[in-house]
Amino acid sequence: MTTSAHTTISNIKTNLQVFLISVATITVAFSILGLFLVVFVNLNSFLTTWSKQVQLIVYLKDDISQNQRQGLEQLISANSDVESMTFIPRETAWANFKNTFSSNKSDFIDDLTFNPLPSSYNLKFKPSNDRFIKIHRFADLLKGRKGVESLEYGEKWLGAFEKFMLFIRIFLLAVGGLLTLGLILIISNTIKLSFYSRQEEIELMLLIGATPNFIRVPFMMEGMLQGLLGGIFALALIKFLQLYVKIQFQGSLESIARGMEFQFISQPFIFGLLASSVLIGWVGSFISIRQFLSPAHKK
Amino acid sequence: MIQLFNVRKSYGGVAPALLDITFSVKKGEFIFLTGPSGAGKTTLLKILYRTEKYDRGQVLVHGMNIGKIPDRKLYTLRREIGFVFQDYKLLAKKSVFENVAFAQEVIGADKKRIRFKTWEALKNVGLTHKKDSYPPELSGGEQQRVAIARALVNSPKIILADEPTGNLDPEISLEILKLFEHAKKRGVTVVFATHDQEMIRSRKHRVVVIKRGKLVAP
Repeated sequence: MTTSAHTTISNIKTNLQVFLISVATITVAFSILGLFLVVFVNLNSFLTTWSKQVQLIVYLKDDISQNQRQGLEQLISANSDVESMTFIPRETAWANFKNTFSSNKSDFIDDLTFNPLPSSYNLKFKPSNDRFIKIHRFADLLKGRKGVESLEYGEKWLGAFEKFMLFIRIFLLAVGGLLTLGLILIISNTIKLSFYSRQEEIELMLLIGATPNFIRVPFMMEGMLQGLLGGIFALALIKFLQLYVKIQFQGSLESIARGMEFQFISQPFIFGLLASSVLIGWVGSFISIRQFLSPAHKK
Repeated sequence: MIQLFNVRKSYGGVAPALLDITFSVKKGEFIFLTGPSGAGKTTLLKILYRTEKYDRGQVLVHGMNIGKIPDRKLYTLRREIGFVFQDYKLLAKKSVFENVAFAQEVIGADKKRIRFKTWEALKNVGLTHKKDSYPPELSGGEQQRVAIARALVNSPKIILADEPTGNLDPEISLEILKLFEHAKKRGVTVVFATHDQEMIRSRKHRVVVIKRGKLVAP
């Protein structure tokens, strides 16, 4: 193993330019995949954060009786999917409304001599995969109740939103898969090029009595090292880009989705990316060296 | 040391490259292998080195039936043989010392032994003063001497030389020939392929002549 490591280092020193070109190619290729992952992770997180903000608002009629309100509250409390229920009296709703628009006060608000807003219940649902379906069903149940004026939970865009999320996930996975396949081909070809640049040396080694493993092991170690370095540089590049985007656009993002921030790929993804870069380096070298050591090639 | 029995090799053309070749070379013997261009000298050497396979017959090298050696074990044969190529096959990016040491490295010798044996091999061919030079900086004769040092550094039992003086002028060719004769004196079996008839006549070594793939004078 020491001899192989020594040979690997010696090979790299002798063919430093080809080695660096291979590392650069792997870096570029993995940066594309990594950026893709960052986009995927952030879009997914954005959609999830956004979807968490969906609430069911039950607007009450102004003439709702105490009994009707109690019945409604009991019905809501009995639903195990409801995480919290907040009652907002019409006075509070009106005060909130006026506060929100206080900066651009219009005569229209001042001229109003009555409170046009109804009292309401804001219902938050527990997170689950079929949360939207549950909200929809519960809304249907409440729709006919006495004392309920109307319901709001973004039913118009909720279905479209769900479909969009599913489409985005499938699209990203499919494109990511194709990209990975492309990467393997690019990296395998790059490593093959580095072999061609040393074809003479490999042939000579075979002619002067090197064992196949003596030739194979250093080249495979080199391939793995190329992959690892390419992976590390790619991650560094992506981190740099992520930080840049975060500094530049974090404010805009927070205004769209509160509590949301530009994320870097998670640790499992980082290890996955590094492991696959090493694996691809190894596979690329293995395929290339096998061709060189095959009897057909030796002839 | 080397025995060939009815060896036949064809590349698919009308006439076979080698036809029923039978001869042997004793241990420590020096033979000239000669014949016109295209006669089959290189094919014969390639068969002995197993870079080519033969179609029929049997070849024994140092007691090994080389036709039965699996590809993955070919290194066992090649470590017994030093091969000198007409085009030297030196690595341009390695120095003279590194080129010779390379043959030791590939068989897994330790560093101390590599240094000692490489220095000794370079001394034998008179090139210690050029150890840090690179092949492109050397003359043809010097490059061939490096190739010979590389072939001898692992103390092989057999040396196969394919037209080692083909690109060199007569004076240098004689120097190169002397290096092979020196190896013979140390007990190495030498098969020296050449079409230089003057060189052959100047020495008293046995001559094996091949013409159109057939043995003419064993």
